[in-house]
Amino acid sequence: MKLQLSSPLARKIFGRTIRALSISFWVMVIAFALMRVTPGDPASARLGAGAEEEAIEALREQLGLNVNPFQQFINYLGDLSRGDLGTSLVSGISVSEIITKTFPLTLTYIAFSFLFAFLISIPIGVFIGWSNKASWVYSFRTFTSIVIATPNFFIAMVAILFFSVQRDWAPVFGYEPGFPGNMRYLWLPIAINTLILVSIISRVLLASVVDTRSEEFVETGIIRGVSRIRFFWFYILKPSLAPTIVLMSYMMGTMLGATVILETIFSLPGIGRELVGAVLASDYPVVQGILIFFGVITVFLSFIGDLLAYLLDRRVKL
Amino acid sequence: MSNVLAKIQDIRIDVRVTRRLRLRIVDTASLTIQKGQLLGLIGESGSGKTMLCRALVGTLNRRGAYVHSGSIDFEGIDLVKASKKDWRNIRGHKIGYIPQSALAGPNPVMRIGAQLAEAITQGGRKSKEEVRRRSIELLELVQIRRPEVVLKQYPYELSGGMKQRVMIACAIAQNPKLIVADEPTTGLDVTVQAEIMELLRNIRKEFDTSIILVSHDLQLINSVCDDIVVMHAGATIEKVPSSKVTAALHPYTHALYDSRIDLVEPRGKLRTIKGQPPSVGKWPTGCRFADRCDFVKDVCRSTDPTPFVQVNDSQWSACIRHKEIYGGAK
Amino acid sequence: MIRRIREYAALPGGFGIICGISMFLTITILGFARPLFIPYAPDELVGDGLAGPSWQHPFGLDQLGRDMLSRTLAAVPADIGVAFLGVSIPLFIGTLIGILLAFAKNKVFLSLVGSIIDGINAFPLLIIAIAMVTFLGPGLFNVVIILALMNWARYARIARTRAQIVLRENYVEAARLMGYPRRRIIFKHVTPNVSSETLAYALSDFILVIVIISGLSFLGLGARPPAAEWGSMIADGRVFLGEAWWITVFPGLALCWSAVSISLIVEGLSRRDRAS
Repeated sequence: MKLQLSSPLARKIFGRTIRALSISFWVMVIAFALMRVTPGDPASARLGAGAEEEAIEALREQLGLNVNPFQQFINYLGDLSRGDLGTSLVSGISVSEIITKTFPLTLTYIAFSFLFAFLISIPIGVFIGWSNKASWVYSFRTFTSIVIATPNFFIAMVAILFFSVQRDWAPVFGYEPGFPGNMRYLWLPIAINTLILVSIISRVLLASVVDTRSEEFVETGIIRGVSRIRFFWFYILKPSLAPTIVLMSYMMGTMLGATVILETIFSLPGIGRELVGAVLASDYPVVQGILIFFGVITVFLSFIGDLLAYLLDRRVKL
Repeated sequence: MSNVLAKIQDIRIDVRVTRRLRLRIVDTASLTIQKGQLLGLIGESGSGKTMLCRALVGTLNRRGAYVHSGSIDFEGIDLVKASKKDWRNIRGHKIGYIPQSALAGPNPVMRIGAQLAEAITQGGRKSKEEVRRRSIELLELVQIRRPEVVLKQYPYELSGGMKQRVMIACAIAQNPKLIVADEPTTGLDVTVQAEIMELLRNIRKEFDTSIILVSHDLQLINSVCDDIVVMHAGATIEKVPSSKVTAALHPYTHALYDSRIDLVEPRGKLRTIKGQPPSVGKWPTGCRFADRCDFVKDVCRSTDPTPFVQVNDSQWSACIRHKEIYGGAK
Repeated sequence: MIRRIREYAALPGGFGIICGISMFLTITILGFARPLFIPYAPDELVGDGLAGPSWQHPFGLDQLGRDMLSRTLAAVPADIGVAFLGVSIPLFIGTLIGILLAFAKNKVFLSLVGSIIDGINAFPLLIIAIAMVTFLGPGLFNVVIILALMNWARYARIARTRAQIVLRENYVEAARLMGYPRRRIIFKHVTPNVSSETLAYALSDFILVIVIISGLSFLGLGARPPAAEWGSMIADGRVFLGEAWWITVFPGLALCWSAVSISLIVEGLSRRDRAS
């Protein structure tokens, strides 16, 4: 059977969707394989050397390790298709419930960080890129490369030293849910994330603005006498934005990784801290579930990013 | 001489390389363009022909260049000193521009329709219906088939020749008095090239527009243009009607003409111009062609700058020895 | 010698490259030569806990009374050394696999390995490294294994793309048509082109890897106490941030110093590329 898709746009989106789905599938396969291919038996490792044979066997059954690997994989996919990511060995709560409980907080401050970073990066990147002054460009690049090279936990520690220890501007740690109250705890992590993101995003935007600037069509636009606002959007920003969007969607994934550390430092009850807790407690189902969740989210984000970039600029390859 | 549309007089253009270092890229260049004239501007790469065009359309500063001295008179306005307001009135209205590279011509992130609309509405707001009618009219004028479809397409969906036709349609949207076409056919197939040239000629005939056609291909220019201006090392060195190229009054023009490949007989020797054009910043004093010229004498190197003078009613030359070499004007 | 360095520094990007290299060499040499000029062992108790910086102990003492200067320098092999392994092993494996993929013809094999590469790359590196610790257990040696298992996929993707481009170049095409043996094409044309690309990525990856090593240790999943490692020292100092900032700040500065030195080199190289 041959699929008939009318417009090239639909065909491209369809192709990209298939790719996103197939990568998601492999994400699940890898998450499955990690626990099985590593040396040693997870069940006996978790219960320790002195554990009774029966307890180990019971845990193996609970983890689904008591059947052959192929059967395990079938069961695993079956569970996943029902949205069942397993149950925590520590608390007995289902993994999907843990995720729905902890992820909103993480999403909140990541979304804020991205919003601010985007708003700050555009003027910086466009202004310095368009001026194309060598001295500005290189001092900017040097500054941002230092920020990027500095680990986020060190930035966080220094920020805590200044804002929490020396002045009482932010609580050292803790969290309180609810909108206005939570910002007291979240503003510092958001500020740190924003600083790092601005450094990354504005660098890419700057580089593509510099590229755009020397393109022939920009010259044509000037000579055509395009009005200033139209010029800013159609001749500077829109042609430069695609690489930035692609990068942002990719950075979202990396930022999710970095949240693990920030949440631990600021004791925020988000998904990252949950993961670290699960690792320290050898809570395999939770680790595996969060791993799949992160993987699939990253795939989804890069799908959205590619799509947005393509809609902005048809030169982008999907 | 009310027939003159634009007059570039003795212009010098410098480019900032570093904070201190400045280089002359155009010096002692003059040319006049008549109303309705198709003028060819020819020169090797680095001869400053593109920079001269940029001066005409006012985008020198984008490349860190500026007019050092001289003037460009366009309908009574000196473009060198033109204010932003003057430029607003000129750009898109009186001077149209067809860009250099066919492949990077139209804005890649705008539909063809949007770009045409942009050019059409430069003259003031128009209703959607009006814009659409005019867009289709323009596309038909540049001989694009199925204009309704093309309006909705993005540049990447068009061939190089199509893109360049769109650029021409944008350039003529306001019926400008002058169109600057900077090597509009580089990178296009020879057949497409011929079609584009034919199109430019038709536009000139139909709207009485003046066109400056820049190229490094003398043969092309010679077959299309009325007058030819030759540039070498930043200076205009010859102006000659295309019908009289063989009677040119500068050795460089002859050298260019003689090095045409189609003049070579089968198995004959290709004639080339000896040496390299002097690179920017290393121009010799006196005639900048002296090192490559067969007729060079000491006086060529000692007269600086070599004056670009009118020899007869149709020809100009910057060769101080043209009378000796070519026996005066015929 | 000095004149040649000066000449190099005058080239575009040269100054940054030289700064970066000298910064990197400084910390590496100081780290490995530490026993020669610092009288205290990194795990030796030399005074009261939390004593501040003094002439005797310029970086102060940590909560147990260990010399912070000694510990900060002793962490160089742990951080820079492990990062070196964590970059060079994936670099080698990934480049090799990427080149092989560009030559491979078997469709099933190609799509299988391609999918595994895409799948691994879908995970944020830090996340999958943390998850792997669950199954392998903490420790710097395991961090190297984790990086070798997970980081090669990024190199393989770069190498495959690059190799495919190189194979389509005219000169390789010509070499093929002239019937040169495949080995010659791989080693003469493809490998140099591909490895220059993956090496460039390795340099910037070094920063990422050093952050991951110290990040894992910071979380208590990397270096085990009492080993000296910057990330775990920063974590140690967290509780004492108010009264003993030096426990956190000096290892952090050392970490920044190393990462920034590499990023200056990367920056300088890219500036040099753009200038030519």
